[in-house]
Amino acid sequence: MKRRRFLQISGGTIAGAAATHWIGKLPLYASSPLHKLTRKALELDTTLVVIQLFGGNDGLNTIIPAEDPRYYQLRPNLAVPKEEAVRFGSSDVFLHPALVNGVYKNGLYRLIDNGWLAVVQGIGYDHPNLSHFRSTDIWLSGINSSDPNVRLNSGWLGRFFTHIYPDFPLLLPEHPLCIQVGGTPSLLFRSPKGDVAITLTDPEKFLESGNLSPDAEPLDEDSLFAQEYNYVLSIAQEANQYAEVIQQAFDNGRNVVEYDGGFPQQLRLVARLISGGLKTKVYLVYLSSFDTHVQQQDEPGSGAHPALLRALSTGISQFMDDLVQQGIADNVIGMTISEFGRRPYENNSRGTDHGAASVQLVFGTSVRGGVYGNNPDLENLNENGDLVYQYDYRRVYAEILQTWFGGTPEDVEAVLQQRILPLSILNPPTSLQLDTAAASVQHFRVLPQPSNGPFTVELHLRHPATVDIAIYSLLGRYVTTITRAALPAGIHRFQGFLQHSGEYICVCRLNNRRNLTKTLIIQR
Amino acid sequence: MDRRDFLTALFQSGRLRPNSFARPELSADQSLAPYPQPLTLTDAYHLLRRLSFGPTHAVAQQLVGKTAQEAVDLVLGVGQSDPAVDPPGPWVDQSTENPSGADPDTRRAIEAWWRSIFHELQQWWVERMRTETLPVSEKIILFWHGHFTTEFTYENGYIPPQLLYRQYLMFRRNRLGSFPAFVEDFTLDGAELIYLGGELNTKGIPNENYAREMMELFTMGVGWYTEGDVKEAARVLTGWRVAKFNDEPAPKGIYEVYFDPAAHDTGAKQVLGVTIPARDPNENTEYLVRRDEVRRLIHILMETRPQQVSQFIARKIYRFFVYSNPDYDAPVLAALSETFRNADFELLPVFRTLFASKHFFDPAVRGIQIKTPPEFVVGLLRQLDIPWNEAASIVTALGQELYDPPTVAGWDGYRTWINTVSYPARVEFARQIIESLTDAHLYQWAQKFPSFASDVDSFATEIELFFLPQSISEQRHQYYVSILLQGAPSYEWSQIAQDQQAVALRLRNLLIAMAKAPDFQLC
Repeated sequence: MKRRRFLQISGGTIAGAAATHWIGKLPLYASSPLHKLTRKALELDTTLVVIQLFGGNDGLNTIIPAEDPRYYQLRPNLAVPKEEAVRFGSSDVFLHPALVNGVYKNGLYRLIDNGWLAVVQGIGYDHPNLSHFRSTDIWLSGINSSDPNVRLNSGWLGRFFTHIYPDFPLLLPEHPLCIQVGGTPSLLFRSPKGDVAITLTDPEKFLESGNLSPDAEPLDEDSLFAQEYNYVLSIAQEANQYAEVIQQAFDNGRNVVEYDGGFPQQLRLVARLISGGLKTKVYLVYLSSFDTHVQQQDEPGSGAHPALLRALSTGISQFMDDLVQQGIADNVIGMTISEFGRRPYENNSRGTDHGAASVQLVFGTSVRGGVYGNNPDLENLNENGDLVYQYDYRRVYAEILQTWFGGTPEDVEAVLQQRILPLSILNPPTSLQLDTAAASVQHFRVLPQPSNGPFTVELHLRHPATVDIAIYSLLGRYVTTITRAALPAGIHRFQGFLQHSGEYICVCRLNNRRNLTKTLIIQR
Repeated sequence: MDRRDFLTALFQSGRLRPNSFARPELSADQSLAPYPQPLTLTDAYHLLRRLSFGPTHAVAQQLVGKTAQEAVDLVLGVGQSDPAVDPPGPWVDQSTENPSGADPDTRRAIEAWWRSIFHELQQWWVERMRTETLPVSEKIILFWHGHFTTEFTYENGYIPPQLLYRQYLMFRRNRLGSFPAFVEDFTLDGAELIYLGGELNTKGIPNENYAREMMELFTMGVGWYTEGDVKEAARVLTGWRVAKFNDEPAPKGIYEVYFDPAAHDTGAKQVLGVTIPARDPNENTEYLVRRDEVRRLIHILMETRPQQVSQFIARKIYRFFVYSNPDYDAPVLAALSETFRNADFELLPVFRTLFASKHFFDPAVRGIQIKTPPEFVVGLLRQLDIPWNEAASIVTALGQELYDPPTVAGWDGYRTWINTVSYPARVEFARQIIESLTDAHLYQWAQKFPSFASDVDSFATEIELFFLPQSISEQRHQYYVSILLQGAPSYEWSQIAQDQQAVALRLRNLLIAMAKAPDFQLC
C-alpha cells in the first residue's frame, strides 16, 4: 500500500506552524493542556454537536480536487468543473459550489474565512469496511474491527461519560449528559451501564408519562424479564426527570437567526437549548440520504447530493451565526461524521458506490481553522479502487476527549482501547488556557533527520518536570515509549531505535499537561 | 486484545461496573423438543403475542387444550391454502406516466397520488393485522418486510405503491416456503429492483448496491465474502428491469419485471470461488439467465456458506419472535440453524419447530420482548376490539413507518423502540384510545371475561393475564382491584357490574393505570 507523503518537512523545525497552517501541512507544534482530575470535565461548559451524515458522504464532491486531472477522468459525469468549484483564497482547496453559492452568508466559505472550520482530509481507518452498518458501528463505537464475530455494542462517548462519571446511572446528572435530536437511541451513547443520552424531537412534546403505578420499583430478580422491565422503567423515569429542565432551557433560550426548514431546524433546537443554559455535553443530529448510488448530481449546483450539501452548509452557517451573535459560540464545536466516502470512479447510474476515506468537517470559533492533510491521492488507490486514508478517525475523537472534554491520555486509552495521538485541531476552552508549562522548555529536538534507525531525543528543561516521551506512527497509532520519568532542569538526551522505514511523530508530554511534537524520519 | 478482553479488563479495573444491566444466562430450557403439556390459556396468550398482534378471546379459546404442535399448526395454517387477499383499492392496477419526465404540475399530482395510496396501503395492512383470525400471517409478513427491505421514500424519489403491494403478496406467498426461492423472488422483485439500483445494473459498469446487501443483509451477514465477490455478483445480476410507467416499455405488462439481454453481462463470473460460465449470445434469454445465473448464484451462497446462512436467518427469526437482544445468542440457536440446514433451507420446519418447542414455552422467555410500534398500537386496538383509522400514522409516529424503514437494514428493534420520546408518546396514545371508548363498548368488552359479573378479584386477574405477559406482585394486583372497587367492599362488585356507566368508568381508570406500567410495553 503506497501512501503519498503528505507531511511537508521544511528544514529542521516547524514549530512556527501557525503561518504555514494551510494545506498539506499538519500543524506539528501542538498543544493539549490536560486536567488531572477527569471529573473536571463535567464542570467544563464545553459542548460538542455531532452531525451524522448517514449513507456515506462523497468526500470527493465535497472538498474537490479541482486541479487533479485524474478526478475528471474518474468522474466524467459527476465531476464539478474547476470553474464552478469555489476556490478558497489562493489555496488548492475547492469547495463544492452547493456549500457556498446561494447559502446563508456564503455557508462554509465564511467559516473558512473566519478560521472557524477545520477540514480533515483523508479521514478513515485500516481495512475499510464497505458495509453501511458495520462501518457506521466502527465510527460510532470508536473501535476498528471488521471481524464479524466482534460485536460493537457500545459507543465511544457512552464509554467516556460512564468512565468519568462512575455514579451513572444510579445518580443521574441534573441535566441530560447527551441528547440526540430524533431517531432511535444511537450506539454512540451506549455503554455497558446503559445509554447516556435521551432522545428529543420537540421540547413541547417532551411529555411526562405521569405517575407510574405505586409498585413501579425496579424488579430485584435475575431474569431477562426483570432486565427489560427495569430498562423500560428507567426510560420512564428519565423522561419524567428531564422534562422540566429541558422545558426550562427551551423557554429561557432563544434564536436570533432565522433558520431554513428541514435539517437546519435540528440545529436551531440545539442552539436554543444551549442558549437557555442546558449543560448537556453532546448533541447528535442527523442528515440522511447520502447513499448516492444513483443520479447523484444533475448540474453541479443541483440534484440529490448538492441539495444535501446545501442543507448541511446552511444549517452550520445559521447555527454558527446564531451562537456568535448571542456571544455563546466559544464553548461549542461541531463535527460531521459519515461511515465512509464514495468510490473515486463513478458508476453507470450517474452515482457512486461505497468507498473508503473521506473528508471530515470540524467547526466552531475554538477550532484551529485550516485544512489538515493533502488533497486525496487519486493515483494510488487501494486494492479495491478506494482512497487510502491519511488520518485515523479516532485522532479527532482523542482530540475532543482530551482538549475539549478535559480527559487524560489514560482516559482516552481506556475509551478507545489504544493510545491514539490527538490531532491538534482545537484550541482548549478558555477555562483550560492558564497553563504555563510551555515556558519551561528551552528546546526539544530529534536527531538525526533522517535517521537510519537509531536516533536521539534532546530536551532542555528550564524547570524540573515529569516527562513522557513516546513515538507514534504518522497515522497516530502508538509505537513505543522512549522514557517516562521525573527529570531535573538541564539538558537530557535519550536514545531510541526504530526498525521500519517511515515517518513518525515524537511526542513529549510535560507534567501530564502539554504535548510537544516533532517528526522523525527513518530511512533504512 | 479483543473486545471481550477489553471489557473484562475494564470491569476488573473497576472503571466500568455493569450493575443493573448485567446479563444473566438465559435460564430457559434450551431444547427444541415439543412442549409436552396441553396449552393453557396463558400458554395460548404467549403464542399469540409472539405470532400475531396480541391475543383475542375467540382465537385463544381455539388453542386451549391443544398440544403445542397442533396449536402452532393451526396458527401457522399448516396444510391450509391461503385465502385470497382483498386488495386495498382499485389503484393497485392503475398506472401513470413517468413523473420525472412530466411537467411540474403533473409530476406533483402523480407524487401526491402516490403518497395518498401509500397511506391507504399502510392503513389497509394495519387493519389486516388488527382483525386477522386463524391462521395468522401478518406478523410473519412484517418480519420478512423488515428483512427484505424496501423504502417507499428512497434516495431517488418514491417507489410506486402498486409495486409495494405486489411485494407484500410476494412476501405472503413465500413466507413459510423455500428460502432460496424466496431470495430469488426478492432479487427479481419490481420494488426491490428500483430500491437497490438493480434496474440500472448494466453490463460494463455494474451497480453493486443489491449484490452487496444480498450477501450482507439478506443471506449470510457481513464478513463472509470479499469485495470481489460483490463485484462479480453484481455482474451476474445485470439486465433486469421493471415496467413501472405506462409511457415506457412493458413487454410483460405494467408492474412486471422483464429481462433486457443487451444489458446483461454474458461473461464468466466467479463468486465465492465458484464459476458461473460465460454465456453464448444465443442463450442470453430471460428463462436461461434466471435459471443458470440468478438461481445459481443464490444456490452458490447457500452451498458455500451453509453455516453462515442458516445461522444468520435462524438468529434473525429468533430475535424477531423470541428475544431481540442483539448481544445475546441463546444456545438453542445452534439447533435451530441445524434444523434449517437439515430442511434444505425450507422455512416451515424452522417455524413449526421453534414455536412448538419447550424453549419457546419456557416461562423465562415470556414477556422479554419490547413491543414494536405495531405490536403496541395494533395490539392495543385488537385487544380492545376497536378500529382506529389513524392507526398506521400512530405506528409511524412511534418510530416504525411500514414500507418505509429508515435504512436497508430495516429497524434496529429491541430497546431502540423505547426512548424518552416514544415512551411518553405510547402512554399518551394508550390514554387517548382508552378514554375514547364508549361506555357501551367497554361494558360489552368486559362481558367476555368469565368472572366479570361474579368476582372482582378473578376479573382483575383475567384482565392482567390478558394484557401483561408475566404474573404481577400481590401488592400491584390489589392496587388494580382497588381501582375497580373505588372503596366499595368486594362483595358489592356483582352489583356494580350491573351498572354500565360505573363499570366503564372503573375500567377506563384500570386500563390507563395498567398502560403506564413498564410491562405493558413487553410481550
